[in-house]
Amino acid sequence: MVGRQYDCLTNPLGAVRFTFDKAVASGSDPASFDRKDWGVADIFRDFLFDNDGLAQVPILTPSTLHVVQPNSLVRFRGMIQDMLGNEFYVGAYKNEETWNTNKFSDVAQFPMGPSPDMRVWERRLLYCVPVPGQNTWADSASEGVIHTYATSANREKRQRETCSVSDEMDIQDSSNETPNSPRAKKMREGESVPQENMTDATDCSTSMAPEFDRNSFPCLVKIYDTPESDLKLNDVFEFIGVLMFDTDVKDDKHGENEMANCFDEEESVNLPSSKVPRLHCLVHRKLSVNDMISISPTMEPKPELLRGIRDSLLRHLTVVLGDDELAAHFMLLHLLSKVHVRVDSVAVGKLSFNLSGFDKSSISVFGNRINDAIKNLLPYSQRMPLTVDYLNTASLAPVKDYQTNRLVPGVLQCAEGSHLTVDETPLQSGTLNNNGVENARLLKDLMDFQKVEYDFKYYKMKMDADVQLLILSEGKSNILPADIVLPFHPTAVGPLGNVDAETLNAWRWYLATLRSLTYSIGTEIQKVVEDDMVSARKVDRSLGTEDFNRWLTMGRLMSVSYGEACLSNEHWQMVKEMERLRKERIK
Amino acid sequence: MARRRNTPPAGNTPPAANTPPAAATPSAGNTPTSTPGRTTRSRSIPPVPTPVSSTPGDISSPVSSPIGNTFSSPNNVTSSVRKRGRRGMETPPPPPHSRFAATPDGSGIGGSGGGGGDSPPDTSTPGSGGNGPSSEGEDAEAYEAPPMYVWGTSISVQDVNAAILRFLKHFREHPSHDEGKYMKAIDSVIEMEGESLEVDANDVFDYDNDLYTKMVRYPLEVLAIFDIVLMDMVSRINPLFEKHIQARIFNLKSSTSMRNLNPSDIEKMVSLKGMIIRCSSIIPEIREAVFRCLVCGHFSDPIIVDRGRINEPTMCLKDECKTKNSMTLVHNRCRFADKQIVRVQETPDEIPEGGTPHTVSLLMHDKLVDAAKPGDRVEITGIYRAMSVRVGQTQRTVKSLFKTYIDCLHIKKTDKSRMNAEDPMETDESSTQNEQGIPMDHEQLVEKLKELSKNPDIYEMLTRSLAPNIWELDDVKKGLLCQLFGGSALTLKSGASFRGDINILLVGDPGTSKSQLLTYIHKLAPRGIYTSGRGSSAVGLTAYVAKDPETGETVLESGALVLSDRGICCIDEFDKMSENARSMLHEVMEQQTVSIAKAGIIASLNARTSVLACANPSGSRYNPRLSVIDNIHLPPTLLSRFDLIYLILDKADEQTDRRLAKHIVALHFENPENSEQNVIDLQTLTAYLSYARKNIHPQLSDEAAEELTRGYVEMRRRGNFPGSSKKVITATPRQIESLIRLSEALARIRFSEWVEKKDVLEAFRLLEVALQQSATDHATGTIDMDLITTGVSASERMRRDNMVGLTRNIIMEKMQLGGPSTRLLELLEELKQRSGNSELHLTDLRNALSTLASEGFVVVHGDSVKRV
Repeated sequence: MVGRQYDCLTNPLGAVRFTFDKAVASGSDPASFDRKDWGVADIFRDFLFDNDGLAQVPILTPSTLHVVQPNSLVRFRGMIQDMLGNEFYVGAYKNEETWNTNKFSDVAQFPMGPSPDMRVWERRLLYCVPVPGQNTWADSASEGVIHTYATSANREKRQRETCSVSDEMDIQDSSNETPNSPRAKKMREGESVPQENMTDATDCSTSMAPEFDRNSFPCLVKIYDTPESDLKLNDVFEFIGVLMFDTDVKDDKHGENEMANCFDEEESVNLPSSKVPRLHCLVHRKLSVNDMISISPTMEPKPELLRGIRDSLLRHLTVVLGDDELAAHFMLLHLLSKVHVRVDSVAVGKLSFNLSGFDKSSISVFGNRINDAIKNLLPYSQRMPLTVDYLNTASLAPVKDYQTNRLVPGVLQCAEGSHLTVDETPLQSGTLNNNGVENARLLKDLMDFQKVEYDFKYYKMKMDADVQLLILSEGKSNILPADIVLPFHPTAVGPLGNVDAETLNAWRWYLATLRSLTYSIGTEIQKVVEDDMVSARKVDRSLGTEDFNRWLTMGRLMSVSYGEACLSNEHWQMVKEMERLRKERIK
Repeated sequence: MARRRNTPPAGNTPPAANTPPAAATPSAGNTPTSTPGRTTRSRSIPPVPTPVSSTPGDISSPVSSPIGNTFSSPNNVTSSVRKRGRRGMETPPPPPHSRFAATPDGSGIGGSGGGGGDSPPDTSTPGSGGNGPSSEGEDAEAYEAPPMYVWGTSISVQDVNAAILRFLKHFREHPSHDEGKYMKAIDSVIEMEGESLEVDANDVFDYDNDLYTKMVRYPLEVLAIFDIVLMDMVSRINPLFEKHIQARIFNLKSSTSMRNLNPSDIEKMVSLKGMIIRCSSIIPEIREAVFRCLVCGHFSDPIIVDRGRINEPTMCLKDECKTKNSMTLVHNRCRFADKQIVRVQETPDEIPEGGTPHTVSLLMHDKLVDAAKPGDRVEITGIYRAMSVRVGQTQRTVKSLFKTYIDCLHIKKTDKSRMNAEDPMETDESSTQNEQGIPMDHEQLVEKLKELSKNPDIYEMLTRSLAPNIWELDDVKKGLLCQLFGGSALTLKSGASFRGDINILLVGDPGTSKSQLLTYIHKLAPRGIYTSGRGSSAVGLTAYVAKDPETGETVLESGALVLSDRGICCIDEFDKMSENARSMLHEVMEQQTVSIAKAGIIASLNARTSVLACANPSGSRYNPRLSVIDNIHLPPTLLSRFDLIYLILDKADEQTDRRLAKHIVALHFENPENSEQNVIDLQTLTAYLSYARKNIHPQLSDEAAEELTRGYVEMRRRGNFPGSSKKVITATPRQIESLIRLSEALARIRFSEWVEKKDVLEAFRLLEVALQQSATDHATGTIDMDLITTGVSASERMRRDNMVGLTRNIIMEKMQLGGPSTRLLELLEELKQRSGNSELHLTDLRNALSTLASEGFVVVHGDSVKRV
């Protein structure tokens, strides 16, 4: 094992160069390092995961940006919002007869003269943003760590933001505490976040603090040596790497090199590093919801335990839903749903839920209650009040802007497993324009196929999505035909009571863990299911594929909610009973 | 200064003129002698910061070339030669005057050595060395100058030169041609006063593999030599021809995908496909600048761009004046060339799952400017280049980044939109090639398809692969498959023509996924229009005459049917179409033309289209009490033009329900990969389809013809069933044509050149199944709903046939003609014993009995059977 001559935390590049020198010294040809790792990943993995270094690495957020130093090791959690292609850089070069490397760095350590001993390598650029609709509990995990780190780092060196760091931080922190209403408002107004970023992107200011706001804190992640298939659009990742601020290319603009400018309408101009920090990724890992839960309960998924959590969660949901127990049952299944396989165009496993029968007064009470409950349970959730105006003006689908060569995010570009509540009650009669019709179609496509059409202007591309859709409406929603339509019958508006953090965490853990449970069906119960379907169809000819699909999905989710990997007759009967009760209500 | 900035063209140029040139370029680059060294560097390690080289001037140097002819000074030839030498070169050429001395006559091949910077440092006088011999030497083989090498390689300049000359002179597409392909091309370029010669890289490859490799690996050098050879040849053919001709290479053997471009491709010739997403405005780039003294009005000699910058004279050159800093640029005496930056993006099919499209910048010059517009799909051949991102002088840090772009040599529009294609089948063929990347793969693909066709199961396999998410309806799918493959059209010498297109009508209860089938076929068909009957008018389907608002001329606008010529026209809601519009279809469906006679235009347009229509039965749901014809409720004239009419009826049937249930359960719990392993993917299916349509033209075998005759006669007889009157669809000569078409299509499916008996039999079966004819009571013309077995699989049918046979045997043995009746349950027991299958159901028996009853073998009364 290489003793760590360099502090991986404050001088990761030192470690990189150290290993490089070592590899060169041991006789390897630097030319052969292209797209290969010479042991850097091992060192950092060892440091991060085996020696508990991970906890010491600060998470990059607007509030910590002032604290962390360039060229130090940071973490960034976010969703891959756009991919900006590959970038060529001088990977290895010779300076006075010794080989040096530029890997994991934007600038060269030594002057690079024009010399034949220069190797060009490539890296990928990913544009990452905080996960849209991320709820406060899911990213509060970082705060504690930062403060301890901040105090330990020597403050003297931080000259760049001499301006009242502490004040700044306090403000940011307090804004963290408030529920993410600003974001919700943003959604409503249909603003797309990076756009505003771009308009004033050209003027480069030296102070970087004030520009960042919580809702748009993008990061340009540079990825090395990773197969393309590992990182997909809309995946949520944690990137651990070297933070860097690009030297601005802007100076060049007025320089003599016109040619460069012609090509310069590219990333770097639109993403000045004063706004978008660069992260040279050393290690990355896909985040699951369990990583988000701050104090992750290390629980064994034992049946009794799960049953207990299930009951308490169900009780909670029942209270939230005004003692409508049936609705609570359906809600539980809905919250557990997930697309687990796609067969042709059918997304198996989705379970969109339409609670109908709201009116002006009940929506004001229950709309918020439901919303708050979901926000507390799921890591990513958004709410969309559906109005004619909104449909006409909002940009739901991501659109490629060829002027900036960027993918402008739409509301429907969200991470896997996001929850979207569509409130249809404010919808009035009106005329939909082109955009409105398009948006309605997008929502319906998402509902039916769990796919979102990304607009690349010259063609459209359907991207798979996995979004739980909840619709609150007066009558049955015809614009968005959900899998389950249930008239909402609240009986009482009971007090919600206080839920302690531990229970909340248990619920979150429960939902996150059980969603990804594997599942199968025995041959016997399969026969029972088939028989039931055949006899049901005898009674009612109008039953079709969708109904059977729904039953099976519900059956699956029902067993999953008990933590069981196999459908049992008991659960199947419960599903049938729920369906029967639902049918009765619809009549 | 200020004035200069305000004028548009100067906007690009003056900064260069203002800064001292030496500041940006390594000092090495300033003297001619060191030129070779510089070239080399850029060659071996592509993107060294030396690529100062990649400052605008050099990259765009080809721009300068055509200008040679507009500029009529005594040294025009020289200047064009010089540019030739620089063409596509990254290295800046030595200052013009040095070249001057080297190649006074301009025709010297030796100029290439100096110009291309290819001579090694020791041959310090390449120009003079090469000059003499080349001007008299007829062939490059006779060339005797000291060998020059492309730096860093063992590629001899002379060898390449000779190889190119050989290629241009001797390449023939076909041995029988007397004149070389490119000699002819050069002649025509000279005649047309063209500016470029298109060279098919495949030809180069075929003729001289080695040259091809060199060209792709060292395009900068080899192309420079290529241009010089070309110029040399041109000037020998026509000494007065002043234009500079560039070689435009296209059609490389292998094309890369944008995603796979990597550092090792830099400075290599690459070819890729993509879609243009953005074109910059045209950038005028200065090539030659003229300055005037503000004091005395003296005009300077034209100053040529050197390494992307113009050296502004610091003082007036006129002896009498000599004023310092008095020179100003005179715009309208400068020469500019066009330049454009274009961004190309990956086409959707190349983007992997979960990725966003990649883009790459292209640099276009001269003629290539505006050659393509955003949205065009193009195939580009060019040189992949990298340019270091330079940091302003103020910054001490060095950026380690490179910007990459492609210096475009050739651009080909590959507009593959289905509608514009000349021959839809042709297009499909080539688009499958595209997907494979290399044309070489075409053969492999064909092999693969042929292999596929040998599969004994191919018919069933294709059926399964067709709309796999639409469940059941096997027979309908088979019919649609036949429609996709089509029969062969035939034109007799007498002028009579027989269509090969198969028309299909789907009539069925609501909610039986007719429309889904329609959309699927529309997607799969080589070309097609999807319309809804309710929204279509007669003219919308055929053609209409419109007045052009601008010119006032009458123009003929094609309707859906004409637009789907050689494709499939899908018409949904056929029954809701107006009578008028429907009648327009008569001509189309049999004669395959649309005739127009209005507003002074009399025309007959081709509409060789297959019609796929779907309709609901009259009264929305099928009424079993009415006859088939009454249910469909379309004029018989139109009906008879459909080869296949499918009744898709939704009938309560436990077995179907069970299959549905099984299907859905499987959907949820089985690994989809396993359950559908035998399905051909859409791309292969399309390729298979187009290959078959293009290459397979089956003919009837004698045996098949006999079978056809026999079957037809039988059908006619059945139609004459006593009392049937007009309630049954009787066989007409049209039917026999349909049968031929269907059997041809079936043979095509197997890639067979001969229609065999089994094809004919299957065609008959399809026809029968289509109208549920086996279920039709010919006496009343109604369908016995109990008999409807839409989409019964072959095995199921076999099982039922067995049942019928078995039951018949039992009845023959056990029962007397006209004897006492037997209870069904007894029969069932007997049947179970004999078949050894205890799972038999009463319904099975009932089915069998009703078949027998329709044959007049037994009579079924409630629970008892009686033999008659």
